[in-house]
Amino acid sequence: MSLQSTIAELPEGAREPVVEQRFVPEFIRALGFNNSEMAPQVETGAGPVDHAARSSVGDDHFLDTLRDPYLYVETKGQDKDLAEGQKEYLKVVAQLKRYLLGEKSKTVQWGIITNSLHAQLFRKHGRVIYPVTPCMECSDIDAVVKTFRERMEAPPRALTVAIYNNKGGVGKTTTTINLAAALTLLGKKVLAIDFDPNQQDLGDALNLPPSQGLMWQTLTDKNADIEKALAQYKYKAPRGNREFGFDVMLSDEDMISQIDEVKLRQDVRPNALLKALSGIKQTEYDYILIDVPPNWRIFSQRAVYAADVVLMPVRHDNLHSLQNAGMVITDLLPEVQAERRKLGDFGPIALPVFLNSLPSKISHSHAEVMHKAIDKVIRAGRQKKFDLRPYFYPKWTSNRRSLAMQRIRYMAHIAKADFYHVPATFYSKVAFEQYRGFIKEYFLWG
Amino acid sequence: MGLSDIGNLVRLPLDEIEPGPQTEAHDYLIQEASNLLQASQRNWIPIVVKETGVDEYEVVANSFVYEAVLEAGLEKVWCIIADDSPDTALVSSVLANDVVPKVNLSTATHKQIANAIDYLIKQPGTLLKGVSVTTAAARIEDAPRKYWQTLEPVTKLKCRISKSKLKELRKVFYLEPEPLPDVITDTTLLDTFTATELKKMAKKRGLKGYSSLKKSDLIKRLSQVE
Repeated sequence: MSLQSTIAELPEGAREPVVEQRFVPEFIRALGFNNSEMAPQVETGAGPVDHAARSSVGDDHFLDTLRDPYLYVETKGQDKDLAEGQKEYLKVVAQLKRYLLGEKSKTVQWGIITNSLHAQLFRKHGRVIYPVTPCMECSDIDAVVKTFRERMEAPPRALTVAIYNNKGGVGKTTTTINLAAALTLLGKKVLAIDFDPNQQDLGDALNLPPSQGLMWQTLTDKNADIEKALAQYKYKAPRGNREFGFDVMLSDEDMISQIDEVKLRQDVRPNALLKALSGIKQTEYDYILIDVPPNWRIFSQRAVYAADVVLMPVRHDNLHSLQNAGMVITDLLPEVQAERRKLGDFGPIALPVFLNSLPSKISHSHAEVMHKAIDKVIRAGRQKKFDLRPYFYPKWTSNRRSLAMQRIRYMAHIAKADFYHVPATFYSKVAFEQYRGFIKEYFLWG
Repeated sequence: MGLSDIGNLVRLPLDEIEPGPQTEAHDYLIQEASNLLQASQRNWIPIVVKETGVDEYEVVANSFVYEAVLEAGLEKVWCIIADDSPDTALVSSVLANDVVPKVNLSTATHKQIANAIDYLIKQPGTLLKGVSVTTAAARIEDAPRKYWQTLEPVTKLKCRISKSKLKELRKVFYLEPEPLPDVITDTTLLDTFTATELKKMAKKRGLKGYSSLKKSDLIKRLSQVE
């Protein structure tokens, strides 16, 4: 029996147990797992997920061992409306995310929510969970299966992170290079992109000369070889004769003078960066970090368009940076997501914002001013039907009203590093620890 | 400034552009235009395109430029990105002289009709030689054209436009006819029906003694009612 007719034969408004029993196992089989490769009610460490699956490895069948799950499927009944933005949709997405971050979920790479009328695929890259497809209607379930299979069969190795805030001076470049260095020290392969040709701070911070026309070629010539535009940044540790490094893509020297927006638009398509990165994203890197200019013009748009997630530094003493972060989520990202949908993608989502360069002590009144400003941003978001709280207060739950925010402490080492043209994380142990903690919160397990 | 490129002048790879409406330009013109393009390497008159997919475009207007650029073998061409509405396509292709605009003959003014016929007559190789613009326009204007389903009735207006010449008229006219009124009294309109149809009409209106009448008499009877 086809999956289509299975859905057709479900009673209208079928409740969760019915959908779970009749539809989901067949759906998972259609995605390429047999009966011994899936199991119901699998413990995640954060509660049991409805179904989990993994391909058999030799004699190790998932149904027997329940080891190393690869895919989670969380099911709801047809009585719950899972169209994007609906209350029930947001609830089940939050539930799936909880499961995917459960302590037994380290090996899980994919998550699906479905009620047999809608289905959406999520990817887990390290600790980052992002929607891969829009929430698709199941009226053509075969198309849904085909899309999900295509995505799951070719998972990109890299997570593309745009480091962005359209307020300047919040430490985007510092964040980019220190994250790049810290991830490198943690064994990850990283590419950092200086996508702010106007300032070219990233190249400058690493003391690398701007490139000569290579970025332009990468962005405008579809047959260009991006490898040519990549340079290596190397840091030689003073002790122990060890060398660390990551790859960088630098802005062109003459882009500074060639910054006429109208002329740039004539040659650089909205998807230029996404397309240029598609090959190396698949196999070469674990993380691609893009240093995005502080505005919403051509380079920012193309950088955010190319990203899976957007990481926004804010400053406790800069209220504009808080407002802008809210505006990015309510206004700019939906615009980009609408464009990315044309590719069948969901498009970039925001990670929780973090306070950059936060002094170890800020006065009570100062903190109060900041929280008031954030409240205002959250209220403004509500007017546009966005719940911004999780982006500012990720630890807030209905029973624990936590105002804790993600942060990078102010450190003389980090501030000073610019003058040495070396990422602080490479030579300062405390700076590294600071970023390592940050990375464990956002990106990596353990 | 949004992500949309609509309205912008952009440089697109030629192989991402699909042809649109065909140009009727002569090979000679295309060939020579392409020779000039090979020297200048830039089409200063842009092609108007619409986005049909990711990195996929289709010519909306200026097909001649497209053909010439293709012939010249340019890799990238200058384009203006238009939205994908039918209205945009129409106005662009008319402005670019790609197509001859058409007039709704059901509602056209006298001036529109006269201009359209005059245009047709002045085309090389026209079939409408010997047609008088004044006469034809006047007779067409006065005919019950708002009900016409086809251009056929024009052939009966005695303005030297026979059935075989209607295809000329179709180049400039189209019809959006109104439904026929329940009771028809207009003689010219009645004349467009066959005798059998007229008899049916007479029956419907409850007339008597119509069955032996000729068509011309039927029309007389029907036009007198009320």
